[in-house]
Amino acid sequence: MPSTQNPPIAGTAIDPTSLRPKLDDAVVERISPSELRARLEAFKGDGYAMLLDLGAVDYLGREPRFDVVYHLLNLATHARLRVLCGINDGEHLRSVMDLWKSADWAEREVFDLFGIVFDGHADLRRIQMPNDWEGHPLRKDYPMRGNNAERSPRPAFANKSNVVAGTPPAGRTLEALQEQVRRARE
Amino acid sequence: MTQPIAPAAPDIVSRDGNTMVLSMGPQHPSTHGVLQVMLEIDGETVVKADPEIGYLHTGIEKTAEGLFWSQAQTVIERMDYLAPSSNALCYVLAVEKLLGIADRIPERAQTIRVLTMELTRIASHCVWLGTHGIDLGAISVFFYCFDLRENILDLQEAAGGARMHPNYLRVGGLNGDLPAGFIARLDALIEKFPGRMRELRGLLQANPILQDRTIDVGVLTQDEAIQWGVTGPSLRASGIAYDVRRAFPYTGYDSYDFDVPTRTQGDAYARFLVRLDEMDQSMRVVEQARRRLDVPGPVMIDDPKISLPPKETIALSMEALIHHFKLVSEGFRVPPGDVYQAIESPRGELGYYVVSNGENRPYRIRTRPPSMYNLQALKGLAPGNLIADLVVMIGSLDPVFGEVDR
Repeated sequence: MPSTQNPPIAGTAIDPTSLRPKLDDAVVERISPSELRARLEAFKGDGYAMLLDLGAVDYLGREPRFDVVYHLLNLATHARLRVLCGINDGEHLRSVMDLWKSADWAEREVFDLFGIVFDGHADLRRIQMPNDWEGHPLRKDYPMRGNNAERSPRPAFANKSNVVAGTPPAGRTLEALQEQVRRARE
Repeated sequence: MTQPIAPAAPDIVSRDGNTMVLSMGPQHPSTHGVLQVMLEIDGETVVKADPEIGYLHTGIEKTAEGLFWSQAQTVIERMDYLAPSSNALCYVLAVEKLLGIADRIPERAQTIRVLTMELTRIASHCVWLGTHGIDLGAISVFFYCFDLRENILDLQEAAGGARMHPNYLRVGGLNGDLPAGFIARLDALIEKFPGRMRELRGLLQANPILQDRTIDVGVLTQDEAIQWGVTGPSLRASGIAYDVRRAFPYTGYDSYDFDVPTRTQGDAYARFLVRLDEMDQSMRVVEQARRRLDVPGPVMIDDPKISLPPKETIALSMEALIHHFKLVSEGFRVPPGDVYQAIESPRGELGYYVVSNGENRPYRIRTRPPSMYNLQALKGLAPGNLIADLVVMIGSLDPVFGEVDR
């Protein structure tokens, strides 16, 4: 089980989305942040009535760093449209909450887990993580596990386990416990 | 790096002194999990409802980025814990598209996948119906439903080895063929099902208490449903016949004969009826899949780079041993690319947006959780209704919090 030991490969500055675009039945559009809002509004007018999902991907090391991904669905013709919008850390996007109500929680989640700010969102706050959480967990530079120094100390019984080698805290060795028991009996 | 600071949660405060704020949940029994709804109420009437989610957030998407493609499937199955196989199927289909092997999956594997999916749907709807019944005061329905579900879980256990998370599907096919005795038990279930459905319908469908509690409660109009991104039975109860199995067929669903039940009223009773009809339609598909199971065949793609070699060959063949070792110790690599795959899960359109950068681990897996979008519609549904009706609305939207929070 080697997997959780290795953090995910970060900093591979490739863009997989451009390599093989025709893998599924969606039409793919890449749109710059400045014209995103107007284009999405036009798509909605063209019959893409439902915003199925809004998510993000962190391509750490690429320029721009993030892709915000909109999945649109035309319910009449059953056509899918995927809109990719690359933005950098610190840049803001216009919210589409007023176009599609479904964007409400989705934008909050992207903000929470990636730290991408949506201007014009009525209630942009964390949704999955606690309000006082630091950092944005789905960023690639966010560690998979905390560092050892910050970990809470192991309970004494765990230190005595033969699986985890560690120095038992003073006074909590097996001998000391046996000594205590012996004294109590006396 | 400057990080935007999250503003503190706004308190719902009484606006004019006539309303009060009530926190419903996260340990309320009728929230079907850990949902907290901050309610502003005027007497018994809800003025504003703000669902708070995230109590069950376990970081599955982040965890999956650190696992092999095949290992990630085990955590992904834990999203929608009432229909684990539907998560697995959607993920597996996405990875197969990335690998370019989608058209090489054996016929029998596809049939068994369809069978698993529809049995899962019935089992999931059984939990929904049982708990929805309890919300409305009909306790005995729960036992009938869980008895039926138990039969399906027994089948899952026989096929995959575990009741709740069988992990039966694999990239490229299935873990193994159906075990001996499976067909006989499946036949017994097919035999039993219509009678059990008649009993359930008899208990509930014309029940005046249930009708009083659900008719004209939580009416979701077509426009609202589309605006909130509602899919699945809740959308079809509002009169839109969108079913991913029909609109974007996968796993050979276009070769099965089934109806997509719809209603136009859009209230909780319509959602109730749609799900009951869906259970019948699922059983129709199960029966058709059952007939196709008489034809034997392989259940795993014949590709040593993806599927584990048969156990008995490992001791005899050096290549098989090497393939086995490489697959277990470092998994398979998936060519770079991104793909969006959707299926019709019991709750609606479940989608995975999967990105690979050519490594043996997924670069990013973004879930489109149907429960989350369906539950979001509660914000629009609740105002103006009684608190007691809120319980009905939550139940009729059928959220699963493993999936809402991931």
